[in-house]
Amino acid sequence: MLLNFKIISMKKIALLLAIFAIGLQSVFAQTREITGTVTSAEDGLSIPGVSVSVKGTTLGTITDLDGYYVINVPQDASTLVFSFVGMRTVEQPITSSTLNVSLQQEMVGVDEVIVVAYGTKTKRALTGAVTSVGADVLENQTAVSPLRAIQGSAPGVNVVTSGGQPGENPTIRIRGIGSVNASADPLIVVDGVVFSGNLNSISSNQIESINVLKDASASALYGSRAANGVLLITTKGGTYGAKEAKISVNAKAGFSNPAVDIYDLVSAEDFMKYSWESLRNTGIYTNGLAEADAASYATNNLISSLRYNPYSVSNPVGTDGNIVSGAELMWDTDWHKEMTDENAFFNEYTLSAQGGADNVSYFITGNYLNQDGSVIESNFERYSGRANISTKLKEWLELSTNNSFSKSLQNYPNQAGTSYTSSLQWVYSIANVYPLYARDAQGNLKLDAAGQPIYDYGNAGGGQSVNAVRPQLGGENAVSSNLINDILYTRTNLNSASSLKFQLYKDLSFKTTYGYERYLFDAYEYDHYKYGAAASVNGRVSQERTVTETASWTNALNFNKTVSDHNINADVIFETFDYKYDYLNAQATGYLPNVKVISGSTVPESVGGYLTQERLTSYLARADYNYKSKYYIDFSFRRDASTRFAKENRWGNFFSVGGSWIISDEGFLQSSGSSDISLLKLRSSYGELGNNRGIGYFPYLGVYETGWNNNDNTGVLQGGVVDPDITWEKSSMFNVALDYAFFNNRINGSFEYYNKKSIDLLFDKPLAPSLGDTFVSTNIGTIRNSGFEFILNTVNVHTTDIYWTSSFNISTNKNEILKLPQDEIINGTKKWMVGKSIYDFFIREYAGVNPSNGNAMWYADDENGGKTVTEVYGDATQYYQGSSLPDVTGGLSSYFKYKGFDLNIMFNYSFGGKIYDYSYAGLMNSLESAGSQLAADIANRWQKPGDITDVPKLINSNNDYNATSTRFLFDNDYVRLKALTIGYNLPETLIERVDLDKVRIFLQADNLWTYQSHKGIDPEQNLAGTTDNRSYIMKTISFGVNIDL
Amino acid sequence: MRNITKLLIGVFLMFAFASCEDFLDEPKPTDSLTADAIFSSTEGVDAYLSGIYRNIRGQYEYSPDVATTDVGGIYSMYFARTIKGSDLIQNSWYNFDYAHENREPTYRRVRVTWQFLYDLINHANTLIEGVENGDLADSEKAEYIAHGKALRAFFYFQLALEYQLSYAVDPSAPAPPIYEKVELEPKGMSTLEEMYTLIVSDINDAIAGLPDTRLNKSYINQKVAQGLKARILMAMNQDWDQVEAAAKAAYGGNPATALNAAEYLQGFDDINASEWIWGMNQQADQSNYYYVAPHAFTDHYNDAYYGTYVDANFVDQFSETDVRNLFANFYDANPGDYDEYVTSKFVFSFEADIPLMRTAEMILIEAEALYHQNRPGEAHDLLFVLQSNRDENAVKSSATGTALLEEILLERRKEMYGENGIEWFDAKRLQRGISRSSNHRVVVNLTPNDKRFYLKVPQTEIDSNPNIDASVNDGR
Repeated sequence: MLLNFKIISMKKIALLLAIFAIGLQSVFAQTREITGTVTSAEDGLSIPGVSVSVKGTTLGTITDLDGYYVINVPQDASTLVFSFVGMRTVEQPITSSTLNVSLQQEMVGVDEVIVVAYGTKTKRALTGAVTSVGADVLENQTAVSPLRAIQGSAPGVNVVTSGGQPGENPTIRIRGIGSVNASADPLIVVDGVVFSGNLNSISSNQIESINVLKDASASALYGSRAANGVLLITTKGGTYGAKEAKISVNAKAGFSNPAVDIYDLVSAEDFMKYSWESLRNTGIYTNGLAEADAASYATNNLISSLRYNPYSVSNPVGTDGNIVSGAELMWDTDWHKEMTDENAFFNEYTLSAQGGADNVSYFITGNYLNQDGSVIESNFERYSGRANISTKLKEWLELSTNNSFSKSLQNYPNQAGTSYTSSLQWVYSIANVYPLYARDAQGNLKLDAAGQPIYDYGNAGGGQSVNAVRPQLGGENAVSSNLINDILYTRTNLNSASSLKFQLYKDLSFKTTYGYERYLFDAYEYDHYKYGAAASVNGRVSQERTVTETASWTNALNFNKTVSDHNINADVIFETFDYKYDYLNAQATGYLPNVKVISGSTVPESVGGYLTQERLTSYLARADYNYKSKYYIDFSFRRDASTRFAKENRWGNFFSVGGSWIISDEGFLQSSGSSDISLLKLRSSYGELGNNRGIGYFPYLGVYETGWNNNDNTGVLQGGVVDPDITWEKSSMFNVALDYAFFNNRINGSFEYYNKKSIDLLFDKPLAPSLGDTFVSTNIGTIRNSGFEFILNTVNVHTTDIYWTSSFNISTNKNEILKLPQDEIINGTKKWMVGKSIYDFFIREYAGVNPSNGNAMWYADDENGGKTVTEVYGDATQYYQGSSLPDVTGGLSSYFKYKGFDLNIMFNYSFGGKIYDYSYAGLMNSLESAGSQLAADIANRWQKPGDITDVPKLINSNNDYNATSTRFLFDNDYVRLKALTIGYNLPETLIERVDLDKVRIFLQADNLWTYQSHKGIDPEQNLAGTTDNRSYIMKTISFGVNIDL
Repeated sequence: MRNITKLLIGVFLMFAFASCEDFLDEPKPTDSLTADAIFSSTEGVDAYLSGIYRNIRGQYEYSPDVATTDVGGIYSMYFARTIKGSDLIQNSWYNFDYAHENREPTYRRVRVTWQFLYDLINHANTLIEGVENGDLADSEKAEYIAHGKALRAFFYFQLALEYQLSYAVDPSAPAPPIYEKVELEPKGMSTLEEMYTLIVSDINDAIAGLPDTRLNKSYINQKVAQGLKARILMAMNQDWDQVEAAAKAAYGGNPATALNAAEYLQGFDDINASEWIWGMNQQADQSNYYYVAPHAFTDHYNDAYYGTYVDANFVDQFSETDVRNLFANFYDANPGDYDEYVTSKFVFSFEADIPLMRTAEMILIEAEALYHQNRPGEAHDLLFVLQSNRDENAVKSSATGTALLEEILLERRKEMYGENGIEWFDAKRLQRGISRSSNHRVVVNLTPNDKRFYLKVPQTEIDSNPNIDASVNDGR
């Protein structure tokens, strides 16, 4: 020491003294050498490649092939950190110059810190049900909306993606369906701030974890908005004192196609024959003609019935039902092919920097993504960026700011529903005999002035007798509409959450967080000036613009103290939340060609705009206590006031209590020498939460609504009767679980049961319509959701070269109605009744085809309490036919690593749900309405007396053959290979030469393979188990490269 | 540090407990008003009246999630009556009405017509009560109350027509419940007698209190109220002298100036036509788009449903030189095919206006009233004024007695087909049947006083009204 003083110039003594005062030890740069070997605790074998670093510095090395390391550390260094993938990180105090360390496998991670409501906790301390889905799961999927990535990885969470439009968010239900008429969506919180925008604005690479809060203990601090669970999304951050910034460059590109095949449809030739048969049957069975007369009737009337003739002769189907010789087929339109693009292109690029210095940490990233959908013109393009920075301004003051910006453009041709331009409906409805391009009566293409073919809209005027007026979806051509019309959604999202954390005393801190969000949604539609629905008004543009602005301010006081074996953690929080929804729309008609903005219009059609505001004021408190980190108890309370309710009803109290017991830490288990048990933990919770979302902003006010203008006179209309005492829905939740880990954590998981009772659910209480209103919405229903969740994780092999793990989860949910405003409510294909679920089908039961006449039959109750069959649909009895909700859902995943290669696969599955397939019902029509497309399965139809089949005859007359019945209700079990990734990390010896840290190339496949019990549509449709002409979820195969430098 | 701590805790507590309720009181609805704001000014009441008229002609949403093309506003109620007749043939929306099937308690027509009219009755009652209790001058109040009663009479009249046979069949027959003010408890069925008593009293009050001025031609004024009174009394088949007077007052009394044959060729889409006494005025920013009947169905020249055809037997009733002969074999169909004829009477566009009452109807009502008062000569002369206006080559018939009545009734169909279900209305009030020719897609013949002339009581009412049970539909 004295020696060192001597070699320093006197001028610097003053400075040195100052530094000395701050930290004597750090002044002396003298180093010493530490050596040792790192081995696996399990088998004692040495581990190469372990990272060894000096805590709090950038100094580090890695172990060699024999697990041996040498590191020079400063004299003052006190701790070495050993870390290795799949192993628990060890911080070893430097007690001698030789440090041999053995690493434990990391599986359970009980000491892992995870994000919970308004804070963090160790997994050990959790009393509630929280499932954490990490970046590793997200990285292996090409999910444009990060929410889709949690499917199959979080038991108790039902994720349903409706349709294949890129950029759409799935429907998520946590632990069953807790609301019928209000919102049943979980609350979404991003970095501690309630999120009101669209989650497709956040790229997956920004996300560190998505934590699903499922029970009362976990979510009670969100009070009046938490009854349907909470998704806590945490974005990535940097690390204080990181050695060096990690810069990552990722690129991925690939192709998408529908994940499952569409139904087999019939060709134009077959369709002509089937149509002929339907007319002949009308002749025989409706008009009572002799068979020969019926055949010639069919031959002579076929074209006037279809109104189009794809053949070169005027009566192309002969009286024998076959195409006459010499008839030449002029077109056979494959509408599915015209409507979709094969190999839709996908590409995504990410650049990020992550790191920090002593007093600052950061994560900064930019991402670009562009994905085409399979329906023509369907596309999603997104630019997103994020900067998360934390800095220690003072020893007692930390500033953190998380900021993100994103812009996305979504081309969204109609891909669901029954509007004439609905893409898949078109494919399911229009037979191949109808041409893509307009034809004259002889079948020749009509050309425009430029000599180009014109799309056929099926409404040619001028009295053209054939090939003019299409009997199905006349006046439209959805292929053309997708091309010449625009539906474009533009979203910009600005999110910012900044906090200041004051360390007031050793045990007391105060944190103030301000969150701001601005979400701009622009929905633009252009209908063509010359063709389609707006042709008569020379085109239409409609544009809606909404600005959603949210501001929240959270002030939290935290007290955390340990006195011997007693640990106390308490929070008192005050929070305000302000939400504004500012809507503006304009719609106008009359455009010149190529003019597609409202300014170019001649006739305004509608304008509108309004401002909606919601506020919430809340007091929160939480107290956690544990004794010896073995017995835990916690209590959460939130008092909310919501502007959605009348002044006298706006305050509500919500709470939870939870406890856990680490059984495996008890002496009786430890002393039995049962080292096979790594962890046994029993936990349970109970609480009462609310749901104020999806019930309108002023549901308690009876008002006169504007917007009912009559010509030039302003108009208002009384808005109907309301319940002034309307209030939030409430859920009481009970949860009990056992967490386990055996054999040094090589087997671990949990087993969980929940019972959630949702009361005061909003239902429409029917009123006598003669009073002028048909219903009043009031808090009247009760539903229970209960179920089991089971997780099993295993480390199958863990050697120096091979690392193989598996994970399986399964969950059940039982949904039961306990109280309704009426004895029963019919809701589409469902009937609500006490004791049944809200998704139990209640429809007629198909009894097959009468072999003697080809008519469809259904079951009906007879007078003696038995069942009989009837050919009259209206006489058939409706029965409960099972639920659309699956009995079990879950996932299975496995990770395999061999040297530089790795393989990650993930399946998700759903069993026991049913689906009612309207699309297939439409495709199995009897040609009651001429020209409606058929599925190839129609080949099994009844043709003559004596035929045994379950497909009724074809007939061009009124019938109920394909009316709603079990004929089209199918089991909807499926297993999907949701994610498959094969990766290879280039050897370090190779990449070090070019000064890179990591180079990884990979092949990734999403939704590559699907097993489904009912084919033709995607198994994911909606919660209610009904189809709606949705486009198909896509499988995407992509190739990518990650480079870290 | 200490001071900072205290300061922060102080700030924290301050925000926690100060001015919280003010923060929560601030959000208010921005697109709606309270009752006080409506009934304190003529502008407010006019706005509510305008809202009611808009609701009459809108795309009525009978349930929050369902709206279908065949149950729009008042025009779809009228069009359902139209295609229940024999003159037109339907193949599109309204097919169930066309087949006379749409009358079961759970069916759309049954539920929507009931709900639509009672919704409007509730608005009329809310208006009358609101005005009575509001701050307007007494003279202003009287006029608005008269307006409210005119609307209420019109709505109850439609209910009486739709949910029971003709008044003359049995005045004591059960009719839908009557509410003369805003009520919270549902009532039981009334009788036709009670209902028509209210209707007649309301329409007389309306005539007494309404001026001839109005905001525009879609509002009821005194003339329209007179026309409604004529229809009401003729439906009751009584007081033909009053029918005559009311009809005359409605068209002005001079048939020569009240008619303009040239307008018949102009597409029945413009409320400014001089023959229109009352109509509904659509404009580009207030359109029902493809919902509007009859235009969106009968017009085969402009793109819409192409759904309505004309029976050849009806076409044969028009002479070549009749301006109303607007029929064409547009699809080159064979004789006897249902799609043989289409009419170009109504021209479809998103801005097509809808006729509700025309001078020609009133002239024909007056002629019929004269006939029923044993003044056949005057009746015949008046009829011929119309006939010769429509056809310059018209020759006065030699019909007398019931043949003259038949000629008047045929003239009503020829003049007004497609507009408000004239054939159905006449068959119902005169207790006749409706027979369809074999040209029809669905051949259904109604006998006089056939049950299919009226609808059952909707199940939704039976389910929620303790004073009406399922037996109400026994025998219906």
